Amino acid sequence: MELLGIITCGGAALACALFVILSRNTVHSALWMVGNCLALGVLFLLLDSQFIAALQVIVYAGAIMMFIIYAIMMLNQRVSDEDSFRKSLLSGRFVVSFLFMVCLLGLGIGLSPMALKGTMGPHARVQYGEINLLANYIFVQGLAAFELVSVLLTAAVVGAVFLARRD
Amino acid sequence: MNDYQSVYLALSAILFALGAFGVICRKDAIVVFLCVEIMLGAVNLAFVTFSRANQSAEGLFMVMCIMAVAGAEAAIGLSIFVLLYRKTGSINIDKFNLLKW
Repeated sequence: MELLGIITCGGAALACALFVILSRNTVHSALWMVGNCLALGVLFLLLDSQFIAALQVIVYAGAIMMFIIYAIMMLNQRVSDEDSFRKSLLSGRFVVSFLFMVCLLGLGIGLSPMALKGTMGPHARVQYGEINLLANYIFVQGLAAFELVSVLLTAAVVGAVFLARRD
Repeated sequence: MNDYQSVYLALSAILFALGAFGVICRKDAIVVFLCVEIMLGAVNLAFVTFSRANQSAEGLFMVMCIMAVAGAEAAIGLSIFVLLYRKTGSINIDKFNLLKW
């Protein structure tokens, strides 16, 4: 049953990723990307990570994609490199990047272990709940990294305002 | 109990390779940015898979950090695109070969 879900949502994620790359309209690419994010969210649900699935839908499919569509609207260009991409399908650049993709794929699948063994206690997540476990990790061991992430976000916002100012 | 971990990891590898392919062969800056997001999503999938396999929270914490980094990247990257569009009237990345003008 889980395998059926994995195959369905994984196929949807792969198809959406392909359409992101292949569609000619930038807005269509962004909308296919929303589909990819939602399919990944369902995969996270299948992996028993409800909190991460909710974050995926809210942060990726909600905030970041809204931001990207807003930027496309501001840039006001709907059909991008239509001709050049179609022409480049048989060029050296396409062939080289396709070979690169195949090599990366072989590396990724070759390096991934076929069976993973748990090191922590079995079913800790079921026993304590995922958010409990995650909060314990964030505010005890990962506190410094968590605060540094907030510094990073502040710096990003300041940088964006600095870049977008009118001279 | 086999939890189909190799299926998840293979899916993550395929998604990452597709994203890298798109980053290399597309020229529209926004589509390149979307392909980077695909790669980040693939890495998130691998992190969550390993996190469930080890029954630990480190992977989930890394996923949260990656989401924050993706948000920061979106803010900076899109404002850079707007700036470049204002300067040159295009976001074709083949035209951006200057570091200063």
